[in-house]
Formats: sequence, structure tokens, C-alpha cells
Amino acid sequence: MFQMKKIACALALAAGVTTAQAGEGSFGWIYTLDLQPKGTLEFEQRIQYNRGQAGGKYDFWQGRSELEYGVTENFQLAGYLNYSYVNAYRNYPATDEFPNGETGGWGVSYPSDNKYSKGRMEGGSIEAIYRITNPVIDPVGVGLYGEVTLGSMKDEVEARLLLQSNFLDDKLVLAANLVGAIEKVKFVQGETGPESMIDILFGASYRVANNWTAGLEARFHNDFYGYKYQTHTQQAWFFGPNVHYATKDWWVTGAWRWQPTGGKCWAPNDGECSDGRVWDSHTKNEFIVKFGMPF
Amino acid sequence: MQWKPAATLALIPVAALIAPAVAHAKIYVSVEETQQRLFPGEKLTLNPVALTEAQREKMRDLSSVREPFRGERVWKTAKGDWFIVDEVVGKHEMVKYALAINADGTIKGIEIMEYVESYGYEVGEASWRNQFVGKTADATLKLNKDIKNIAGATLSCKHLTDGVKRLMVMYDLALKGSK
Repeated sequence: MFQMKKIACALALAAGVTTAQAGEGSFGWIYTLDLQPKGTLEFEQRIQYNRGQAGGKYDFWQGRSELEYGVTENFQLAGYLNYSYVNAYRNYPATDEFPNGETGGWGVSYPSDNKYSKGRMEGGSIEAIYRITNPVIDPVGVGLYGEVTLGSMKDEVEARLLLQSNFLDDKLVLAANLVGAIEKVKFVQGETGPESMIDILFGASYRVANNWTAGLEARFHNDFYGYKYQTHTQQAWFFGPNVHYATKDWWVTGAWRWQPTGGKCWAPNDGECSDGRVWDSHTKNEFIVKFGMPF
Repeated sequence: MQWKPAATLALIPVAALIAPAVAHAKIYVSVEETQQRLFPGEKLTLNPVALTEAQREKMRDLSSVREPFRGERVWKTAKGDWFIVDEVVGKHEMVKYALAINADGTIKGIEIMEYVESYGYEVGEASWRNQFVGKTADATLKLNKDIKNIAGATLSCKHLTDGVKRLMVMYDLALKGSK
């Protein structure tokens, strides 16, 4: 049971892995209010790669294939297919049970000191975004976002408040997301765990040349045990750059986030926090590549 | 079912190559053709304008457009009408357009010369462009005030509207009454 709880904590903190992007995404992880025009479709493919934990080897890949549709000028619906691949080996610190390091973390079904790798078709998500004000014509763009995920690793309801302001002929974009999520994490033996999350994402992106933008983004991440944010379990910061190229027929975005030291853990398991960083679904470095094709 | 990330990553450049097969339209009209659309049969003479920093600052203040204006793309007809080519920021690239001003200071018309974006081609339709016809430098020329927006083309509509405002301010400051 202790091990199950340990995995529960590890799995539960994965909300940040499953982030997505509305419309054309100039940021890696921050949603903007650039929605699909009414009656138009866009296909989007994203690959996120989380690399490196306390030691050993930890690689977590997540893929999301998405179709976005503009229902009205200010309302967009999207559907996702989610899948992942994990490759881990003694990535957590040593314990009494595993003195050479423990194999664990998000996507690892059971703790051991053996190599573990597995690919999964996780499930799907449905997302809706409503734009209340438009940053192109209003001083501050405001939007509401909701996403429901059903999958083999977790079920999740996520809500976001989207904020965006544009400056300098809309070439400079400042954006922030206040994110809340409630998750039911699923374990190998059918047990579940209640988790919740609050994140603040913020960043800036500037059009450095026609077709090109570059910027910086940050994430302030907080995880809790329980559906009602009962027990604070993790806190961490992530920072990194993004670059985006777009033409009329397709666009691509690449971004990198780095986790500095200074993170905190209040979870009961030492393996989820070491050297001032938090682990579970999180890593020292996170990379994302997104590709979009409007129709 | 196992999923391998490398296979999906490899598909991205393939998709980028395929994308032009479902490419959207684009607008490209030359200066000469645009001149003939706005001033059919008339002869236009290049009439570059040199603006002072004070004039440029007033154009920025009144239009909010920060992209620099190129004064060498100004033409004049024998009757005293003006033809000006300008560019504003589009979603991905610059949107090039032309403004025709009658000798009496009213807008004769605008034409979209270059537009290469995923969406928003409705700005090239006469029904939207004709909103500007007859307006003067005194007009507000603000999107959602005296110029209607097009859903899905908000950025292009806003920047073109602001661009026309900038040119009308420039006309008022530097072209009006000039010989």
C-alpha cells in the first residue's frame, strides 16, 4: 500500500505534462487568445520530451494529436488523442529498498531498480475556449478555458483564466494563464488517487522578423493531495525560451523549460524531491515541439 | 498499442512539405495594376515625400501604427489625386496596400496588394474596402467605430484601418495643398 501511495504521488503531479495550446501557438505551454476563425479547422501535433531527474535515466515523451474548430468568432472546440512513452532507470534517489537508486516517476507503473520502458495510448481530451475580450482590439484580452481528459493514467478536469495584452502593432505579446486542475490518478491495480493543481504560467513573445517570434516563458507550479487542495505537496519554478515560425500553410513552435533549484516538496516520499528540485512528472529539462496546419 | 515518439517527430517535416498541397489563396497585385484599378487610364507621377520627425511622431500618435512609413512610394495624378503604397503588420507577414485620395481630400478607394496569410482574405472584398470611400482626414477611422470588423480577420482589419488613418494624417500634414 505504501508503494501504491508513492506511485500515486508520483503520478498525480503530472498535470503539467498535459498542456495544450489554442489556435496558433507562439508559446510552448501558455495559451493565448488566438482562436480559430468561425467555421475553420486546424490540425495540431505536439511532442513533449521531459528529460532527467535525480540520477540514472528518465525520459518521458508525450504526444498529442489535435483538431481545433472555430464554432463562433469567440468560441473554439478541440479534441485530442493522447499517447506517451517512458524510459526510466534508477532515476530516483537511493532508498533502503533500492540502495542503488529507484526506478520510478510518472509513467512507471511500479517501483523497482530495473529498467522500465512502456508506450501507451492514454486516451482523449475535449477542450473549449471562450474569448470574452480580444487583445487585438481591447487593452486586455480575457478568455475562459475548460478541458476534460479521460485516460488510462488519469481523468482530469482543468480550467484556465487566459489573459493577454498586445503592444507595438501586436508584435509584442504578454500572456498569462491561471490554471486549476482536479485529477483522478489511476494505478495499476485499479486504485485511484485524488489530486489537484494550481499553476501560473506567464511569458512574453516578440515578432523579431516576419514569420518569426521568440520569447520567454515561466511556470510556477503547485500540486496538492485531494480534490479540494487539502495538502500542498509540491512547488517548483520552470523557465525557458520559445521560438515560433509560421507561414500561411503551417507553423511550428519549439520551446524549452528548465527547472532551477529551489523547489519544495511536502510529499511523504523523499524520492519525489531532491537537490532542490521536484520530480514525479517533472524533470530538469522539458522540451516541446508543436506543428500546426490550418484548413 | 506501443507509441514511439521518433515516428511522430519524423512526420512533422513531412507534414510541412505536404501543407502547401492544401494551401490557401494569396493576393499579389503589382503597383502598376493597382494604379490602373484605382485610377484607370490616368498617368501617375512618382512624388516622394520627406517627412520630419515631428510629422512622423504625429502620425504615430494619431494612428498608433509604429511601423516606419516609406515616403518614396507616393504618386500623384495630373488632377492632384494621390496614390500611396504602404505596409502594415499582418499575422505572419506584412500586408501591402494602396490608398487613393481624391484632390479634395476624400478617400477614393483602397486596394490590397499583397496578402499572404492563413485567414482573413475578406479584407480584399469590396464590401469591406468601400467603408473607407469618401472619408477624410478628419474621420475617426477606428475599427468597430466607423469601420466594421470582419470576424476572423480582426488583426488585419485593425492594422489596415490604422494604416489608412496614418496615411490620411500624413496627407493632412504633408500632401494637402502641395504642388
